[in-house]
Amino acid sequence: MSEVIERERRYEPEFVDIADDSPEAMFDLLTSRGLGDGLPVVPPTRERVEAMLQFVTGDADEVLFTLQPRSGIVTRRVVAINAVMAGCPPEVFPVVLTALRALARPEVNLRGVNATTHPVAPMIIVHGEIVKSAGFASGVGAFGPGNRANATVGRAVRLVLLHVAGAKPGFGDAATHGQPAKYTFCAAENLEATPWESYPLSRGVTAPSAVTVHCGEGPHNVHDAEAAGDPALILDKIGSAMTSLGQNNAPISQAEYFIVLGPEHAASIAERAMTRRDVSNYLFNTARIPAWVFRKHFQELAWANWMKAVDDDELLPMTGDADNIRVLVSGGPGKHSLVVPSWGMTRSATLPLEG
Amino acid sequence: MTISVYLPDSEPGPISTSLAASPASLKGLRIAVLDNGKPNADVVMIHAAEALAARTGAVVSVITKKGPLGQSANAAIPLAEDRLALLLAEADIVITGAADCGSCTAYSVHDAIELERNGKPTVVATTTQFEPVAKTLSTSFGAPDTRLLVLPHPIGGTDEPTLNAWAEAAVDQLIALFTGITQ
Repeated sequence: MSEVIERERRYEPEFVDIADDSPEAMFDLLTSRGLGDGLPVVPPTRERVEAMLQFVTGDADEVLFTLQPRSGIVTRRVVAINAVMAGCPPEVFPVVLTALRALARPEVNLRGVNATTHPVAPMIIVHGEIVKSAGFASGVGAFGPGNRANATVGRAVRLVLLHVAGAKPGFGDAATHGQPAKYTFCAAENLEATPWESYPLSRGVTAPSAVTVHCGEGPHNVHDAEAAGDPALILDKIGSAMTSLGQNNAPISQAEYFIVLGPEHAASIAERAMTRRDVSNYLFNTARIPAWVFRKHFQELAWANWMKAVDDDELLPMTGDADNIRVLVSGGPGKHSLVVPSWGMTRSATLPLEG
Repeated sequence: MTISVYLPDSEPGPISTSLAASPASLKGLRIAVLDNGKPNADVVMIHAAEALAARTGAVVSVITKKGPLGQSANAAIPLAEDRLALLLAEADIVITGAADCGSCTAYSVHDAIELERNGKPTVVATTTQFEPVAKTLSTSFGAPDTRLLVLPHPIGGTDEPTLNAWAEAAVDQLIALFTGITQ
């Protein structure tokens, strides 16, 4: 009996022998077991995994939680193995672990996120002191390519989803097409260029470093270089990018949008004294479609009750509450912002950094 | 020179479930249809339930969507508490689905296992294209023998006469799945 309880609380991964310390030998191993993301990996030797574990505290073999749909066991060591394979520098390891803690939260609905035919991928946003100390990119090209921390954290999370959560295409992941953001999808918040409080602080997370996950589509670009930064012209274009019947936000009113403002757009908006909340409210009021159009297109509408009660001719928002429109700043110079729609039956999570 | 590396895939957590006992005969049993709202899920499952009832002497007792009060359904979340209570009170066996996409397969299998745990044999209506996903998830969720009715693909977008023909042709498979008797 005590042995059974011990097994549930602790898990020690197995070792296997491979021909040598090379990407080719790892390809042979992964191919024979149906593992990997298709790209070369670093062999996860004991030494490399131990180096990763130096950046977290606690029992490396403690079972922390499981990831759906496979109910795969997560320990710090299991995550470290995948982080080594992804090429993570050890100092980013707590970010990988925190992103996975966030994905395991019930409101994220990882079972659905992983299994769906929709091309959803978790977007990981890194906030606070860890951005500088671990070398994350928050400025030009934040979503890549070119920065090791961003690239490998997103990839490590994907490898854990493939290997541990069982999100293997055609089995635990039914995504019709998949998408490039399923390889890696990570950037840092550009706090220096944020004219408001940090994003985590706006959600009540006061820790010095934090991680946000949002399970949605790839980013949709919005370009506005008109009329000397008139916020209405910027925000109307963002609203236009949000107003699509093909997004799952359309039939699911709890679904969020993440609006990733470029620093120049953020500055233009803030110069006119608009707050973050004003931006959400403006988009809530402008990104709208007549109720009859929604009703014509969707047999089932997972809508807030108030939306079901409005007349056909009224304009309805693309999400049920202005607070579902989440605004943060990332990226470098240029007149671009990004809209990241949601998979739908999922909620974002922002957690303090915790190894 | 060979080196040792860790395997990266850990293993599934210690969950396993046994299915509800299969009835020897369906005569007089109450069949429920639990509809996740996917296009045409109601058409093919209701027709299959009625054809099964006509053949076996069972009765169709409940037809409901899986959302609260049965008013609407979202296929990517578990069945509502009040629907579970309704099925436990007013049905003996259940047909649920359609499991013809990813998240809806995950939650149809999840719902079926929940009902099996509560003693109600439950068949998940899936399709040839999603059978591998349904099988993988059944195993992941601790019930590899989840009862899967495999229909042609796709259910959404197929016309009603064709769906009715598929439902008629599925009756023998349904009897086998519910009773464990193949002939």
